[in-house]
Amino acid sequence: MNDFSLKKYPKQIITAAVILLIVVVLAILKPGEQELLSRTSPEMQKLIEADQHSSRKRVTVTYNSLLVINYASLSTSGAKEMSEKYVGFLGNVYPADEGPAKIAGQMVNYTYRMLGVKENLMHGAKLTILLTTLTVVFGILLGTLLALGKISKRKILSKLSGAYIFFFRGTPLLIQMFVVYFTVPGIFGFAWRDLFNASDAEAVYKGAFLAALIAFSLNSGAYCAEIVRSAIQSIDKGQFEASKALGMNYAQTMSRIIIPQSIRRMIPNVSNEFIMILKDASLVFAISLMDITTISKNIMTSEGSYLVFIPALVIYLVITAFFGFIFDKIEKKFSVYE
Amino acid sequence: MKKKILTAMCCMLTVAALAGCGAAKEDAADSAAAEKAPTIDISDATLLSDGVLNVGCEVGYPPFEDFADDGKTPVGFDIDIITAVADKLGLEVNIINTAWDGIFAGIGVNYDVACSAVTITPERQETMIFSDPYINNYQAVVLMADDDKQISSFNDLNGMSIALQKETTSDILMSDYKSTGTIDVQIVANEKITSCFTQLQNGEVDAVVVDSTVADGYINSSDDFKIAYKDEAEAEQFGIAIGKENTGLQTAINQALKELEEEGYIKETYDYWFGAAAE
Repeated sequence: MNDFSLKKYPKQIITAAVILLIVVVLAILKPGEQELLSRTSPEMQKLIEADQHSSRKRVTVTYNSLLVINYASLSTSGAKEMSEKYVGFLGNVYPADEGPAKIAGQMVNYTYRMLGVKENLMHGAKLTILLTTLTVVFGILLGTLLALGKISKRKILSKLSGAYIFFFRGTPLLIQMFVVYFTVPGIFGFAWRDLFNASDAEAVYKGAFLAALIAFSLNSGAYCAEIVRSAIQSIDKGQFEASKALGMNYAQTMSRIIIPQSIRRMIPNVSNEFIMILKDASLVFAISLMDITTISKNIMTSEGSYLVFIPALVIYLVITAFFGFIFDKIEKKFSVYE
Repeated sequence: MKKKILTAMCCMLTVAALAGCGAAKEDAADSAAAEKAPTIDISDATLLSDGVLNVGCEVGYPPFEDFADDGKTPVGFDIDIITAVADKLGLEVNIINTAWDGIFAGIGVNYDVACSAVTITPERQETMIFSDPYINNYQAVVLMADDDKQISSFNDLNGMSIALQKETTSDILMSDYKSTGTIDVQIVANEKITSCFTQLQNGEVDAVVVDSTVADGYINSSDDFKIAYKDEAEAEQFGIAIGKENTGLQTAINQALKELEEEGYIKETYDYWFGAAAE
């Protein structure tokens, strides 16, 4: 990160500082939670009061705070729906039942829900990022082993690796995930949920996440194997011969000469694979996990608002931009070997 | 250069957005929980965890089940029913959001019961058992309120254009009528039921064929529509799906449902979610 020094990029630093300052000022000026909720109408207050004496909750109080703007809503569902919505911005509280304030409020609420703020790690953007990152890490590790197996001179090893890659690239990820989540426990008589503390209400989701991670990693391993293999085979044959001449054995040649050079050639493809997995992560809806896409579809079903897809796209782009930046850096770093 | 600034901003925003957000309103603990006086014996029932009824539910089918505005509180008719049932059994409810695909595979594994607008069908009864039905659903024909056409059976839809939701019971039923040549009807199949009612209002179609529960909700919220016909001969019944071996739990749930019915709770909950005009 050498090139981020103040001397080299004064403009960027200043821009960032100014933006940060504006954000901080706006965040400070934003009205507080109490201020937003104090606007509640007497009828709603009565309903909230009634809720406290009943086992049945009717009013849902929502408070979302997103950097510079916040949103509060009190709503009852049911046939005669009642709702009150407020948006707080720059020291003012606006009723958000119609007009621009309504759209702003919706955006805050949707973004908040899709980011999975205040939720556990298996929710929203956190789930997507965690699953994608772990999958790529495990995928590359598994892929390297498979690639070495496939180019190995031992026939059995080579055939086995080839068969693995053929199987996982030749079948859809969704079905692989179903098999891992439903079929495997069915055959071996265990439940993913039981791998976690049974008294934990989240155990089901943890089990589903583990199953998804295993399916994604096994699948990604097959794709990464081909990436690693092609990168290794793109290194000039002369390098193998030179290493041999220097008295290195196969393991030494691979680990010290070939693989370090091939990493740079892998990065663009791994980056590609990363982005593919990021989007494939939405398949986890099928085993009950709530990622960005699932949450946005869910919001559309219940509110019929097509606006929800705009923040969803922005969140995806921000994640892609962030990781694209990191892959760029890694690629530059490994370019020294070329 | 510009790209760098953008990236820096993006990074900053992501980090800030993920880290710097305020607290969500925590629901206060259910004050009524302490007053529970379980009257039904559940010693014969098998539960995955003690004192908790784990419920599988595809949250996202309003008004049966849906997330409230905060994105994490499940609300809806099914949720109210199952919560009241659990109250009767002296259990806490843990709603587990599940995809509809595989919802039945999870019974007895991930949760004890599935309560998610599950229609009782003979096919399903081969692999699981059901509680007594807690709601009846019929196929209904909805017209504009000022339309004076008389509909006394689906045959009266002959020559009309109708809107319905894709891949629902209504779709299967009307496609049957059409493909067998019983009536000549133009079917407009939409992804969302909301689109059907908009089409009806705009005069694109003459009628909407839909679940009576959903229709009740619409009639109640708007004076523009009326239910012209309800096929009461063929009721679809929703029940709570239970693991095949778990007859102890079935007995207990049926007892709870019976008591709730007698107390008028089910009717009251129905009115709340689908409107008092119904039934």
